[in-house]
Amino acid sequence: MVKAVRGVLVECEPAIKSILVHIDSTHHHEFIIEDLDETHLFVKEAMLQVLKSKLEERLRETYRPEEPLEDSE
Amino acid sequence: MSGGQQSYQLSEYLEKLPGTTFRKLYQQPSTAFAIFRRMLPPLAKVFVQALLYMPSPLLLAELDVWVRAEGKMQRDRALSILRSLHIIQITPPGKDKPQEMQLTTNFKNSLRLALEGGGSHNSFGVPSTLPVDPRIDIAHLDHYARKKWEDILHYVVNSVPAQGDGGGSISTAGPKTSVKELLLLGRLVELRRDTRAGVGITQAGFTFLLQEANAQVWTLLLLWLEAADRAKGEAKGAAAKTDSIDMLSFLFMLASLELGRAYNTDALTETRRNMLPHLVDFGLILVPREDTRQYFPTRLATTLTSSASSLRSVSSGFSAAAANNPGDASSLGTTPETSAASKGSIIIETNYRLYAYTSSPLQIAVLALFTQLNMRFAGMATGRLTRDSIRRAIGFGITADQIISYLASHAHDQMVRAAAATGRPVLPPTVVDQIRLWQLENERMRTSAGFLFKDFDSLEEYVSLSSYADEIGVLVWRNDKKRMFYAIKMEQLRDYLKSRKKAE
Repeated sequence: MVKAVRGVLVECEPAIKSILVHIDSTHHHEFIIEDLDETHLFVKEAMLQVLKSKLEERLRETYRPEEPLEDSE
Repeated sequence: MSGGQQSYQLSEYLEKLPGTTFRKLYQQPSTAFAIFRRMLPPLAKVFVQALLYMPSPLLLAELDVWVRAEGKMQRDRALSILRSLHIIQITPPGKDKPQEMQLTTNFKNSLRLALEGGGSHNSFGVPSTLPVDPRIDIAHLDHYARKKWEDILHYVVNSVPAQGDGGGSISTAGPKTSVKELLLLGRLVELRRDTRAGVGITQAGFTFLLQEANAQVWTLLLLWLEAADRAKGEAKGAAAKTDSIDMLSFLFMLASLELGRAYNTDALTETRRNMLPHLVDFGLILVPREDTRQYFPTRLATTLTSSASSLRSVSSGFSAAAANNPGDASSLGTTPETSAASKGSIIIETNYRLYAYTSSPLQIAVLALFTQLNMRFAGMATGRLTRDSIRRAIGFGITADQIISYLASHAHDQMVRAAAATGRPVLPPTVVDQIRLWQLENERMRTSAGFLFKDFDSLEEYVSLSSYADEIGVLVWRNDKKRMFYAIKMEQLRDYLKSRKKAE
């Protein structure tokens, strides 16, 4: 019998996806409903904001973007 | 994006209404006409026009003769919209009988009435026979409506946590308490203690601010309808239902009225009369203080159902009106700056510097949402787009596309002229790309809410449902190997499955 499941489709780069999958596996799998393919995940609607902030946290630890050069006013 | 889902649009609201509501709505010729005018894509209009005077139902198969093979997608989409708005009925597929389609009775009768005139429905308003105050002319109405509406926008903008000098040092009287409550209820702003106004803007509020005026008006009106629905639903129930239908069709009627004309309030039902004070608060109508038996629709009301592409937007309407009556406009206090603001005043250079030739506090406040404003002069403000300023905006829920389209539509005439002369885009491509890149940095994932369809019984079932989803334009992702697909809406797919089951 065909089923329709409510949720949020997340599209991202494979690198980001693997971080998301890792976050999910360290949090009792409470985010992801279905791992669709390399660049797509299907996640619980209610948990999306939590997942986003967890990803931000993780990226902040590793990612330092360069500031563009300031020009004089 | 997250912001887009929250902004309330008319079509989404209508799609959720049950068929019985539509039947009642379509009793009013003005409503049927407004839906026809505003909600339908061109091909759907062609279908309706062809069906309108057809004495008997049309075989669905005959439609294929009208539409070229490569237009099948548009055809299915048009039919899907017509069905979701309950404008056409299509008989379920059966083995013994071919499918037929026809217009729903109420819609057909009302649209005919609207086109031919006649009937005593008073659906297009009753003009007032009383003497009209000569001071109330179109320029006055425009000024009045803009003042009311900018007050509301100001209230939303000023709820941004103070930053720079753009955050609104101007004190306006502000909208009425009822409007403020509505903004709170619709979560365009939320209560917060760290801002001057005591409220803070939300993601939905930002999306709201950057919308064009017509969409803003509808967002607010639909919030209001929902709020009224809920309040009455708790009180009584069935009676409330008819009230909200009457409210909605009154809005459609307002849209068909003539700007600058007085209409009779006595001819309105009680529900509609009760709506008048609220509509005055929004600036959609004006009721003269001395004579409350008349009301004047403003441009905000009369452009409600005009489509943005075919007719000028509300703001350009304002500036056109101001240009036509320079004498009246200035005597009524319309400053040249405000009309210039809607024409375009922003210059942006390849080094991300931004100059805005405006003194409209509203526009400066909106710019401050995504720009680091540095200096402010009389009639001009300067600033820069920086990684942080864009980042902050995206944190609020504004998208790069919204910023870019805002900048493009408000670009100074000089930029537009220079771009046209050299054949280049209006905004410097480096800036546009960089804004997008800054967004990508922050938006690591693109999301959309919807439904995942899985566990199909057969390949055949999967193929037919997923290709139907593709045809009506709701399919986003599919994987044939896993036999799964993702669609943004499910109601019509569910109906499709049901009708398939029946046919078997």
